[in-house]
Amino acid sequence: MQSVTLRINNIACRYETTNVLENINFSATGGDFIGVIGPNASGKSTLLKSISKVLKPHTGVVLLNERDVYTLKSAEIAKNLAVVPQESVISFAFTALEVVLMGRTPHLNRFEMEGTKDLIIAKKAMELTNAWHLRERPINTLSGGEKQRVIIARALAQEPKALLLDEPTDHLDINYQIEILDLIKRLNKEEEMVVIAVFHDLNIASQYCDRLILLSKGRIFAAGRAGDVLTRENIEKVYGIKVTVKQDGISGRLIIHPQRKRMTKATKGRVHMVAGSGSAVSLMNQLVDDGYNVSLGVINIGDSDYITAKTLELDVVEEKPFSHITEESYEKNLELIKQADYVILTNIPIGFANIKNLKAAEQAENLIIVEKEPIEERDYTKGEATRLYHQLRANAALVKNSHAVLEILKSMESQAKS
Amino acid sequence: MYKNYLKKIFHWKLIITYLTVILGLTVVLTTTLGAAHISSFVVFKILITRLPLVNNLIIPSWSIGEATIILQIRLPRIILGVLVGAALGVAGTTMQGLFKNPMADPYIIGISSGAALGAISTIVFGLSIFGMYTIPLMAFMGAAAAIFLVYNIASVRGKLPVNTLLLAGIAMTLFLSAIISLMMYTAGEKLHGIVFWLMGGLWGRNWNHVMMAFPFILLGTTVIYIFARDLNVMLLGEEPAQHLGIEVETLKKIMILSTSLITAAAVSVSGIIGFVGLIIPHVMRILVGPDHRILLPSSALVGGIFLVWTDTLARTIIAPTEIPVGIITALFGAPFFIYLLRTRKRAMF
Repeated sequence: MQSVTLRINNIACRYETTNVLENINFSATGGDFIGVIGPNASGKSTLLKSISKVLKPHTGVVLLNERDVYTLKSAEIAKNLAVVPQESVISFAFTALEVVLMGRTPHLNRFEMEGTKDLIIAKKAMELTNAWHLRERPINTLSGGEKQRVIIARALAQEPKALLLDEPTDHLDINYQIEILDLIKRLNKEEEMVVIAVFHDLNIASQYCDRLILLSKGRIFAAGRAGDVLTRENIEKVYGIKVTVKQDGISGRLIIHPQRKRMTKATKGRVHMVAGSGSAVSLMNQLVDDGYNVSLGVINIGDSDYITAKTLELDVVEEKPFSHITEESYEKNLELIKQADYVILTNIPIGFANIKNLKAAEQAENLIIVEKEPIEERDYTKGEATRLYHQLRANAALVKNSHAVLEILKSMESQAKS
Repeated sequence: MYKNYLKKIFHWKLIITYLTVILGLTVVLTTTLGAAHISSFVVFKILITRLPLVNNLIIPSWSIGEATIILQIRLPRIILGVLVGAALGVAGTTMQGLFKNPMADPYIIGISSGAALGAISTIVFGLSIFGMYTIPLMAFMGAAAAIFLVYNIASVRGKLPVNTLLLAGIAMTLFLSAIISLMMYTAGEKLHGIVFWLMGGLWGRNWNHVMMAFPFILLGTTVIYIFARDLNVMLLGEEPAQHLGIEVETLKKIMILSTSLITAAAVSVSGIIGFVGLIIPHVMRILVGPDHRILLPSSALVGGIFLVWTDTLARTIIAPTEIPVGIITALFGAPFFIYLLRTRKRAMF
């Protein structure tokens, strides 16, 4: 299949007197998968509209194979370019197959009925989007996700060489989201189809797109590879939220987490957690939600416990990555432990680097130990940790999981009050 | 599946064939009914003399009066009924599809009130510049003026937003209705004629009326049918239609002008016959589905059949007195429509 080139040349769009797009420049050719991202009202949908000949740009041109789309016949464009809208409202009782066959409109002469060839193409498109079994169902009786799969099949029945999608998987369950996007990615690579898609899910955008265009207030804020566009700084500036951007160890793709702000004010007692290696992440969140005043120590910078604690704006005694606990941070930790009403020792592995945490825990007034595995299995100090641990256990409340911690804390709180 | 699809097309052809046969039978049968008692056998013979090739096989055995009643009074009226019914069926279907609104009918953008104003002015001021054809001509001009105004009010920078068009049409209708009410209030003994025209009817129409309406209705209907598939795609919404290669703004203009043309032609010769243009499209959508390639021709055929039978009732039920056919269409059509609504589970709009 001959691939197409789309060139967006310095376009600007206006609704009445409000500028919604300005200085937009980019081009796409066969096999490109471009994601358009940006907050609400940043001009994402308008950009798609101006490319698909719905909203004529005030200045600039949109070129399809070097020809201005606003001088081309709609049918000519529709043979090359298909659009999947965000939402389709079809209130008439056409069957799903009839709707998909409408995708053949640009290929048919005025008086031509849909023929065998068109039916074969429609069937193939519906099989690809897993919608063939819906063919006899009236479109207005389908669920949002089923309808969207039919609409995507309609777009594919146009046999387009470029596909524009506006938040295409919004109405789909997660399994269909992946299935549809995988399919689009496959067509993008195998058929050299140009794909330009608006996404609001940054993770999905980074996973599927070769290039991203980040729009902010109608202008391109950043464009390029996901790693260059989806930085903490860019996202904070454009969306106004703090995020953590991590790279997935297996796929190498980016994972963007919005950081949550602390919702509840601490009204209950002080809880200090001796933690590390991510063992305290969920418990920490639950304690904060329950209104405890939580602190942690000693934790290496970069540990997921550390990241979570910083996100929740908790007191943390920190240590450089992969270093032994220094005397200084040991003392700081001890100070917090003494101030705490309750100390929780999570199910951490103990090595020579962090054995001082166990020593500090000895000073705890009310110690709760979370033990998921016996200490022997996570002792990397040839027995010294085990010895210290058993001493701690003798004077501590022992629990198996986070849920039990919360219960025990509750009962201790009520005892302390009475 | 290809078999299913071929079956669908075969099914469509069958529907059109059946309806055409029913329409033919309707014309012949209703010609035999009327205030003057002429036997069916004689009516058939008179009709056959008008057919090519076989017209010489019949030996005349009827009076000239009988032939005149059949050929100059009943037949043109029935043919006009077919035309007007078909026009209203097609116009209603098109308006509902274009506006994606089940309440739309051929009169929704002000054509009827424009025509009414033209007709009523003629009656009130006693105009007779075109003789007995003054009323239809003035009605047609009124309709054309109204649609011209509404169209220009609604169009914004070359585009025709359908909701604005709808509202402009409703506003125009309200405004013209006020003028009409004022004229009726002061009309005195001419009020009866006005009311009779407003209710719509086909009495006293002759072949000239048929010839006046026929070219417009044929032209408009043909144009609309050419764009039947585009109308289907328009039901997906204007933007999706654009994406599927339809020149949406051009299509809307062509459809509005064609619909106006056939509605104006129909109204000018028959007055404002309600119900047909609103309900026939709904009934046909329930019966044959939403595809305009079958919906338009079957709405035309059934619109014609329906109007001819209701008009026959209107002229025979308390003969020789006539009832305005608009009363009959609603009186008999509405209960049938309610029955269909209740028995069909599938949402139709």
